[in-house]
Amino acid sequence: MEEKLTQRSVWEKISNKLSKRSLWMLHYCTGCGAIELPPTMTARFDMERFGISPMVTPRQADILLITGYLSVKTLKRVVLTYEQMQAPKYVVGFGSCTINGGMYWNSYSTMKCLDQYLPVETYIAGCMPRPEAIIASFNDLIAKIDRGEANSWKDYYKNYDFYKANQDRTFEGPIETYNDIKADAAMFNIK
Amino acid sequence: MEYELENSIIDKMQPEFPEAAFTIKKARRVEVKMSSDKLYNFAVRMQKKWNFLHLSAISCVDWLQDNEFELIYHFWNYDEKVLVMAKIRIPREEESHFETISNLWQPAKFFERDIHEMFGVYFDGSEDMERFILTEWHGPPPMRKDFITREYALNFFHYREYDPEWLKDMTAAGEANE
Repeated sequence: MEEKLTQRSVWEKISNKLSKRSLWMLHYCTGCGAIELPPTMTARFDMERFGISPMVTPRQADILLITGYLSVKTLKRVVLTYEQMQAPKYVVGFGSCTINGGMYWNSYSTMKCLDQYLPVETYIAGCMPRPEAIIASFNDLIAKIDRGEANSWKDYYKNYDFYKANQDRTFEGPIETYNDIKADAAMFNIK
Repeated sequence: MEYELENSIIDKMQPEFPEAAFTIKKARRVEVKMSSDKLYNFAVRMQKKWNFLHLSAISCVDWLQDNEFELIYHFWNYDEKVLVMAKIRIPREEESHFETISNLWQPAKFFERDIHEMFGVYFDGSEDMERFILTEWHGPPPMRKDFITREYALNFFHYREYDPEWLKDMTAAGEANE
């Protein structure tokens, strides 16, 4: 079973080759780190060299970039956004806040570890990371997709109970999402 | 004469509220302390009679040792450009109650909802006392002094273990300094 998951068919290899150079990024900019994105997108650092471009809707996006801290309130919106995105999808945690709370480590209303609630593909450390670090992490992501290792989105379907339990504990009760995760998992053949 | 404007305002107000204690904090800033049952009458006169048309804010202070909440109403006069801060104290309970002034100033609704969820002071007579900013919050009112943020966060949230080798010397040196 384990072997089967890591093996890729020819079609998957081709699809990974093609999709690694055409990534649309949805940036969820609630934290202060969003200020580093304009230079990353525009002429100075020019993210589009790598085929990454900003996208305004979750349904057309591949990358969900969480820039900075999430409060309990915004986490709910992020979960809704994430579940609307089409697979394959990659969450990138940006800045120390998403890793372990950062400077808000003792705050009552901000989330500490993003990977408790959503499967995170890569983290960018720093408070806040420079555009060079963002570009480097996107290059890592591209290499990972090319190798066929960027499978964190499958983890959401496989361990949905774990993520759902953490989300419910935070919101004190189930939230209404618009996607049937179990049916999606059956569609992707993920058990 | 120093504080001519402020003194003229106090002279207008003092006869109607003989028990209220007026102080001039600095230029254009007047503080008044009064008992809580006088506040509504004071607010009515501020708006209708003395032309303080703008309610800048309502703020709340938790005095844990006195077992009291202090509500501070900030009134602003556009013509004379003076801010009057009316301070009252109400008893501190599990859910304290006080009367609303949202029928005089519409924006007071927002301040009162904010104080309700942050301090747990319910304003009787307000149309809407639903949650305002902390819509996903189920704990005690977080701005109360007896709510310990760090304790709550450490109990509630999951933290990542991080104890690398290179940090151990620095941590030990820091603890030795303390």
